[in-house]
Amino acid sequence: MEVSATRFEQMFLTGARCIKDGAVLFVGFHWPMLIARIARRLHAPNIVIVYENGIVEDRLTPILPTSPCDLTAAEQATTCAGSLETLFMWLAAGRVEMTLVEAAIVDRYGNINTTAVGPYLQPKVRLPGSGGGTELSSLGRDLLLVSASANQRSYPASVDYITSPGYLGGGGERERLGYKPGTGPKALVNPLGIFRFDDNGEMYAAELHAGVSADEVRATFGWPIKVQPGCKVLPGPTAHELTIIREELAHAKKRYYLMPEG
Amino acid sequence: MREAVARYVPDGQELLIGGFAFSDPTALAHELIRQQRRRLFVMKTSGGVLVDQLVGAGCVERLLSCHVWNSVGPVAAHCFRRALEQRKPLPIQIEELSYGAFTMSLLAGACDLPFMPATPVQGTGHFTQRTFMPEKFGVVENPFGGGPVCVVPPLKPALGFFHVHRVDPYGNAQLFGPSGEFRYAMAACKKLIVIAEELVDTEVIRERPEATVAPGFIVEAVVIEPWAAHPTDAYGYYYRDLPHHALYGEMTRTEEGFERYVDEWIVATGNHAGFVAKLGEERIAELLVRKDRWWK
Repeated sequence: MEVSATRFEQMFLTGARCIKDGAVLFVGFHWPMLIARIARRLHAPNIVIVYENGIVEDRLTPILPTSPCDLTAAEQATTCAGSLETLFMWLAAGRVEMTLVEAAIVDRYGNINTTAVGPYLQPKVRLPGSGGGTELSSLGRDLLLVSASANQRSYPASVDYITSPGYLGGGGERERLGYKPGTGPKALVNPLGIFRFDDNGEMYAAELHAGVSADEVRATFGWPIKVQPGCKVLPGPTAHELTIIREELAHAKKRYYLMPEG
Repeated sequence: MREAVARYVPDGQELLIGGFAFSDPTALAHELIRQQRRRLFVMKTSGGVLVDQLVGAGCVERLLSCHVWNSVGPVAAHCFRRALEQRKPLPIQIEELSYGAFTMSLLAGACDLPFMPATPVQGTGHFTQRTFMPEKFGVVENPFGGGPVCVVPPLKPALGFFHVHRVDPYGNAQLFGPSGEFRYAMAACKKLIVIAEELVDTEVIRERPEATVAPGFIVEAVVIEPWAAHPTDAYGYYYRDLPHHALYGEMTRTEEGFERYVDEWIVATGNHAGFVAKLGEERIAELLVRKDRWWK
């Protein structure tokens, strides 16, 4: 039986359900880490997680790391290697099946900006920069973008700075420039639902969370986003699933994760 | 540390600082601030709180990095933001590489190769937006067929400071746990200084030779400084200090708050031992979770 969750909580469930048990994942900083952890506790205990610094995590760590470089992530790890292994031997070489990356600001073609809002040399808001996010978007297969925002500021028609490449200008530009086939974002999960990319590389609303209307989706995105007609409603959590999600959110809060307002 | 900074880091020095939000040698940054270094060219893959402090204290003129933030929370690196948005306290010049491109550039430098293929980044901001390193990326045609390849030039920093776990009197330096780009980055530096948690006998080094990340013959000098990487983590030694990251994030929201942090935690403490003493025994005990040297 489904129970009622907030849209923020629902995002974790929807994201976790995209993860197949046994998959080898590359997981980026922040909410993707929590999504993978929740998947591991629910239906995917056998996932193998690779972090950019060299850690391979193949079981539930006792403590939720605050970032991939919080070495509680290395507790009981099977491998501690380095970035040449993780980013190039495993991610670029296609040994990682799925990649999760946070997309705080993302545009029509799945390009992510984590660098600067406004002109680069005179930014209105200076953001942290890429870290390994560029590699995750450039090299990752079955790339899932995650955003906890349902604010229009997070979804401009085109980003001011492409930190992590999506389909760039669309229309096959990515392939033409020499990116590997099979790379590029496959979906975005946010509090509204799941968004996918058409053959032109443009994002559209594929499946929505309960109570989310097409009009609300259109009002959230900075371009006239297509909403799949008769778009499926994503299932809500069971009582057990919601309990796990809330436990992990409480755990995250204890580990100094800042929670979205409201 | 006082002597190492006085001897190796004059104003205007180019230096690569090791660490990737773990093993960040904070003790080095504090000493650079105490000795009021200016116009440094700092290279660091993951900027973090360490770079934020150097920028806030006005030590940095140029910065090459792949990101700068306080990864606990996460919260913004406030000094870094103020420098780039408002040019306070001083303007800085920034150049950026993605982590993979940075790794490959250091690998090319370490191997003395003319360039390395790197992450495809054509069409991104990293590729088009260039400041003081106009040649940070190139594109070549694959000589063996198969289209364009994005390449990076070799990076050979004049000086490198890296945190390690233990070192012997000959400079054989060991690090356990994940190692990011550290091995190639250390080898890329023209002059390398390691900052170790402890000095051990060479016989101890011999027990785990595979953990040696820098053989003594590439190490110029050694600094022994326990807790040098606090508030980041040192694998097998201590955990990341979350409350201290939060305290730093909170205090540095304003320039005045940052100045207070520098006065209280860096200047007044006098040296790193003083800083550790200020943290207090209780905090130290909490962070020192792995008391047993379980890798022996």
